Amino acid sequence: MKGFLRSIRVRLTLLYSGVLFVVAALLVAGLYIGLSLSLRDQPLSQGGAIRATVPVNDGSQTEERTFVDAQAFEQQVNARTLRNLRNFSLGALAALFFASLAVGWVIAGRVLAPIAHITQVAREIQAAELSRRIELAGPDDELKRLADTFDSMLGRLDLAFASQRRFVADASHELRTPLAIIKTNLELALTDKEATDESRAAAAAVIERAIGRMARLTDDLLALARLDAPAVGREPVPLEQIVADARDEFAAAAAARNVVLQAADGQGWVVSGDRDVLKRAVVNLLDNAVRVAPPGSSVRLDHGEEDGWAWLAVSDEGPGIAPEDQGSIFDRFWRADDARTRPGGGSGLGLAIVRQIAEAHGGSIEVRSQAGKGATFVLRLPLRAEQPVPV
Amino acid sequence: MRVLVVEDERDLAEAIASGLRREGYAVDLAHAGDEALVKARVYPYDLICLDLSLPGTGGREVCRTLRAEERSDGAPQPRILMLTARGGVDDRIAGLDDGADDYLVKPFELKELAARARALLRRNGDRSKAPLQVGSLELDAARHEATQHGTPLALTPKEFALLRYLMSRPGEALSEFELLTHVWDENANPLTRTVRVTVMTLRRKLAGNPIETVPGAGYRLKDDA
Repeated sequence: MKGFLRSIRVRLTLLYSGVLFVVAALLVAGLYIGLSLSLRDQPLSQGGAIRATVPVNDGSQTEERTFVDAQAFEQQVNARTLRNLRNFSLGALAALFFASLAVGWVIAGRVLAPIAHITQVAREIQAAELSRRIELAGPDDELKRLADTFDSMLGRLDLAFASQRRFVADASHELRTPLAIIKTNLELALTDKEATDESRAAAAAVIERAIGRMARLTDDLLALARLDAPAVGREPVPLEQIVADARDEFAAAAAARNVVLQAADGQGWVVSGDRDVLKRAVVNLLDNAVRVAPPGSSVRLDHGEEDGWAWLAVSDEGPGIAPEDQGSIFDRFWRADDARTRPGGGSGLGLAIVRQIAEAHGGSIEVRSQAGKGATFVLRLPLRAEQPVPV
Repeated sequence: MRVLVVEDERDLAEAIASGLRREGYAVDLAHAGDEALVKARVYPYDLICLDLSLPGTGGREVCRTLRAEERSDGAPQPRILMLTARGGVDDRIAGLDDGADDYLVKPFELKELAARARALLRRNGDRSKAPLQVGSLELDAARHEATQHGTPLALTPKEFALLRYLMSRPGEALSEFELLTHVWDENANPLTRTVRVTVMTLRRKLAGNPIETVPGAGYRLKDDA
């Protein structure tokens, strides 16, 4: 019985016919009571009777006798009418109850049919196969809106899963390449009967490079995974602090490539966020800039405030970014063709990390570049509400 | 047997090339799709090891282009072995449908690459037998062994490669140029007498002089050597 009641169709049917039955029963009872009261209050006969003078004692005498007492007669007729009314009403109520059960069952079934369809489709959809949609036909009612909402949610899930799959495929591709280098070179070195110290050292150097690449890639993958967690710090961080941190971390690398790193002095603007994470964004931008900057050129790191936003800009004098590529450079594992073969190239995740950091802080990242004239990356972050009083 | 290795990761390309050279192949390298197309149009490669993700013209496009073209010198199409880090079923199907003969997923063992190369090169009609046998000569490319009347021959890698090519086409007169393009890589200087010198040293190690000089045509390995 409990299991039976768990069906909405059954409950709706019972509720519907129950309410209908009660309403009808009250109506009938009201009619019955009203009728019986009104019959009692207003007798038609008003005490009248049918009387006649009849001869008695062989016709010698006459006597007036009452043949029919109208009041009693009326009472009997009334009682019978009421009894009939009650019987018919009870019969009609019983019939109504069963009819309403049947009608309720059919109506509830019709109303609930789209829900059954939605359930069916949702049950058939597996995480791996999100291309199915409910596509409920019919008027634009509550259920259609529910189904459409499901469909758009499925669409978003499908996109998210596809992007996740692509990311995993890309990440495994990126990890397999250095693995292949390590494996092949090791096999070559181990099976070479005429290996010299020199050839072994060369193989070791190749393997070390490949391991360095895997290490950078795993670091970046971890950084991305951590940024996916919503918990980014919200301490006050002065812009000049980020600039100084990033400059210190990058001075040696810039000098090694004979690139001048110019950083403007601080202006005391404060943003909220995580100091290390923000530094990483700027370091990634500097890393890119220094990598493309021709030797002897300079890389600039500026910052300031504009329309309530703090900005940090990294400019290089490198080859710039073609307009058709500017939309995709922040995608994971996107790399310019020539950067893929360049030794010491990045993991392809640097700018994706910057974008994620910017978005995690409620900010944005954009690039301005003309091919051949260098590129400027601008990181915008919301200013903290309370700024320190200028000294 | 001449092989072109197309791979944009230089560290990997060098290692594959060294491994294949050790097997007696003449190996050239290309690091981009366009470079691979240029080389494949110039040299009659027997096998191309083609990476899928190349800068510029991608590996699949290179494969399709090569398959769509007739070689100007009428040489047979090269075997194409695709190398890629994308090992999904769909990727493999796409690669094979583009005209590749075989597919190897990174990271792979050099041993397997060499075995697949041998298998692919064996697929030419009468070259179906491994090891090769012509008269009293026997050559097992997998073991890197050559024997005459069951006696092992001490051959240098180049002599071994030359003998292998001659044994793959017994009875045919092969020009010096053909031997140069199939047995030597692009670093060989066509103006030197390198083919003639190697033929000479190989002859000295073989009993009964099975390699004839065909005047005006080149060299021929006798069927009953």
